[in-house]
Amino acid sequence: MPQSTDLLQGTLDLLILQTLALEPMHGWGAAQRIQQLSKDVLQIGQGSLYPALYRLEYKGWIRSEWQITENNRRAKYYRLTQTGKKQLATQLAAWDRLSLAIASVLGRATEASS
Amino acid sequence: MISELLPRLRFLIFRKKRSELDEEIEFHLEQAISTRIAAGMDPAEARRQALIEFGGIEPTREECERQRPAWWIGTVIQDVHYAFRGFGRNLLFTISVLITLALGIGATTAVFSVVDRILFRPLPYADPTRIVSLGFVHSLERQEFVMGRFYVEWGKDQTPFSALAAQSTGVHNCDLVENDPMQLSCISFQASFLPLFGISPARGRNFLPEEDRPNGPPVAMISYGLWKGHYNGDPHILDRMINVDGNPARVVGVLPRDFQFPTLEAADIATPFALDAAIQQKVNGGFGDPERVFARLRPGVSLEQAYAQMQPLFNGDLKWFPPFAKNETHLSIRTLRDREMQEARPVAWILFGFVLAVLLIACANVAGLMMARGAGRQRELAVRSAIGASRGRLIRQALTEALVLSFAGGLAGLAIAQALVMVFVRLAPTGIPFVGKAHLDLRIAVFSALVSCLCGVIFGLAAALEKPGLAALNARASMSRNHAFLRRSLVTTQIAISIILLSGAALLLRSFTKIEEQNLGMQTGGVLTVKVALPWWRYNTNQKVMDFYLRLESSLRRLPGTRAVGMTDSIPPGGWESDFRYSDLAVQGKPRGIPGIGGTVVGRSVTPDYFRALNIPIVRGRNFADQDRTGDEKEVILSRLLAERLFPGEEPIGKRFLPDSVRGRGAIVVGLADNVKNSGLTEPSDPEMYTLRRSVSGDWDGNHLMVIVDSAMPVAAIEPWVRSEVASIDRTVPIEMEPLNQSVNRLADRPRFETTLLGFFALTGLVLAVVGLYGLIAFMTTQRTREIGVRMALGATRGNIQRLIAKDGLRMVLVGLAVGLGTAVAVSRMLKTLLFQVSIYDPLTYIAVPLLLSLVALVAILIPARAGTRVEPAVTLRAE
Repeated sequence: MPQSTDLLQGTLDLLILQTLALEPMHGWGAAQRIQQLSKDVLQIGQGSLYPALYRLEYKGWIRSEWQITENNRRAKYYRLTQTGKKQLATQLAAWDRLSLAIASVLGRATEASS
Repeated sequence: MISELLPRLRFLIFRKKRSELDEEIEFHLEQAISTRIAAGMDPAEARRQALIEFGGIEPTREECERQRPAWWIGTVIQDVHYAFRGFGRNLLFTISVLITLALGIGATTAVFSVVDRILFRPLPYADPTRIVSLGFVHSLERQEFVMGRFYVEWGKDQTPFSALAAQSTGVHNCDLVENDPMQLSCISFQASFLPLFGISPARGRNFLPEEDRPNGPPVAMISYGLWKGHYNGDPHILDRMINVDGNPARVVGVLPRDFQFPTLEAADIATPFALDAAIQQKVNGGFGDPERVFARLRPGVSLEQAYAQMQPLFNGDLKWFPPFAKNETHLSIRTLRDREMQEARPVAWILFGFVLAVLLIACANVAGLMMARGAGRQRELAVRSAIGASRGRLIRQALTEALVLSFAGGLAGLAIAQALVMVFVRLAPTGIPFVGKAHLDLRIAVFSALVSCLCGVIFGLAAALEKPGLAALNARASMSRNHAFLRRSLVTTQIAISIILLSGAALLLRSFTKIEEQNLGMQTGGVLTVKVALPWWRYNTNQKVMDFYLRLESSLRRLPGTRAVGMTDSIPPGGWESDFRYSDLAVQGKPRGIPGIGGTVVGRSVTPDYFRALNIPIVRGRNFADQDRTGDEKEVILSRLLAERLFPGEEPIGKRFLPDSVRGRGAIVVGLADNVKNSGLTEPSDPEMYTLRRSVSGDWDGNHLMVIVDSAMPVAAIEPWVRSEVASIDRTVPIEMEPLNQSVNRLADRPRFETTLLGFFALTGLVLAVVGLYGLIAFMTTQRTREIGVRMALGATRGNIQRLIAKDGLRMVLVGLAVGLGTAVAVSRMLKTLLFQVSIYDPLTYIAVPLLLSLVALVAILIPARAGTRVEPAVTLRAE
């Protein structure tokens, strides 16, 4: 199993928001999706996944409701709210700026931008 | 559907869905397990792996819980809950702290609300510290006054003041003549008066200069109370014509609601003072009318400079005075606060000092208790810290406890303060302004809340900041050395302070008993005084006045049980009396006295039965007789004091006064009466001269007489009879009745007030200090249980152990006593003005107080010391 990478502070919220932006999902699903998309690099521990979901819900960026899964099991699905969508856009923009900046510092920026 | 909804509703109502989170986690685990099974894993192994991967379920729960926006409130509630459990376990500690805090805060708050107006609150005028009261003072009038002539001159020539304004010497009775006449208080002041104080009327305007002169347009201002009360807040009050004493006046303004006259008198109607320079140089023998003058100091001019600058003007004025008056007349300039508060400020400062000392003792007590408890809890804190409580959490816990305590103490303190203020108001003597109106206000409540919070925070932190080290986990609870020293000094300080308080209170108590026990020279029990004020507009001649009183006298004499009915213009020992100068007395065949020397003599105009009614013995010669009342001779009776001064070594009976002395009467001395206390209860008595009030209309000036009834019947029984007798002569005459002992008692109100208050605070301080001492000894004894066990195992007797503990306590007491006594002797000088016939070095006080304190302290030491020796050596040693 590949070594999991520590997530940058605050990045988890962004990842969850991005994941939920595609479709409503339960906690397990979101964790799996992040793991898949990151090719198993990012493994979300439940110890931080659920607190993050609760935090986002308290902030009003996501909303939860109980639904029946495809194999007929009750599960709690989370979906993005309008505020959540706006928040996602802001955070993505901030992320782009940040990653670009870090890349420049590390000397790995594309030639075009230098 | 419904069955689905109901649990959801429950989640909504209850706290954030713990079971919902559980279900979510469960689902998560199921998914994890089923993926592993799908990948071909053995179910049991899959479950094991999933659980391992998931990690701790409980931390996750907690972490989710912590995301709640108001999560911290929950922990505060938890802390408070924990604090309450702790208090419940340690009830004695809790109650001691609460009582201490409540007493300290309550007493401080109450006293502060009383002295606030006297000492601290700025007077309700613009820039009040620059306003002064100025004028002459002499032996018969201690409040500054200025004669009109000099006021006019000062107005032209003075330099230190930017403004001067005069008002009438005081309020006078006046009648508001309307459909329903009512008696009010009137005052008059110049147009410059209100601007000097920076006051503008609540409605309307101030007097105009053209109104403030003789024969100007008749105008008046009325008080806010009169406007709201009598005129029901009439919006058209301005320009309304009112009739004062038969003179119409137009209302031009309403004074502000909280306006306070600089003399602290209450006036309903104000009229222009209408001072005229030309007139003032003619009236009253060229001196002009007396008035009260207030002035505003120019910027940068101090009180002393103003005094120095006014001195030449004053010296010029003195030339006008008759020679005898020069010596006893002085210039006086006082700040307005001194003028308003009179003698109240020293008392207020002493009271304030006392209560601060009590607060200090209380704080020391709380500190001591908190620290002792903190030491006792070191193990508990160490355990909590060891199982994961963070440092911040522990400090917060301690703070919460302290705040809960001080909040409760503060609440109880406010209740005590309210009760105390009610007591103060009940006891309030007339001499101290504003006490009668004292109440807790918001400012003071906030002040006390701050004090209580500060107490809590400081002492809570003191206990919490000590980091519970691992060492504390050991059974051997260590008591750090410097803390022990701190606690000892706290107790020593408490004892020292309470010695100071007790000595002060004891001095006052001694002085008060001397006041109460002194011989007044007359009887006060069973005597009823009746003050009859005849309306002057109907009793406008001396004849009518005399007829009324003589009829009243004879009808009162007929009442059953009456022993004597005396009539007089004044009654000792206090209150108004008609004084005159000793030097005015001229005896036939003797040189006149030197003017300005000899002070004052009390003159009283009485009927023969006055002496019988008050049981004042005639020590020589005879009393006035009933036939004297109709004779031509003018008889006088002297007090022994006066006779000894006028006729030392001579026979006073038969001596004559010249016709121009004794207020226009030549008179013969017929008797000597024993001395009666006549200048209040605490001042030395003045010599006294009784003139006979004969049944001649010329002797019946004025319309306010006092009738004294000495009866065999109880005073309460004859009161209604007297009332009906007066009514049967004239039912419109107002009368006031009071048993004489009651009015005499009231004269002692002020010393009683001071003594009660200071005594109460001194006792409070003593109780607190003793509680502190007891607590510390008890605490130290428990700390030393093992040591005591060892000592006893090695052969120490109980007596040895008791001595060991008591010695420790006694050392603190002795140091406290020494420090306290020294300070008390030094500080008691401040009490000097309050003491009556008691030296500030009163030996009895300085012997009794330390004795009392040592005795109480000994008990406080011995009880815990004895308890400490009830130790079974085997048990303690095994507890190691």
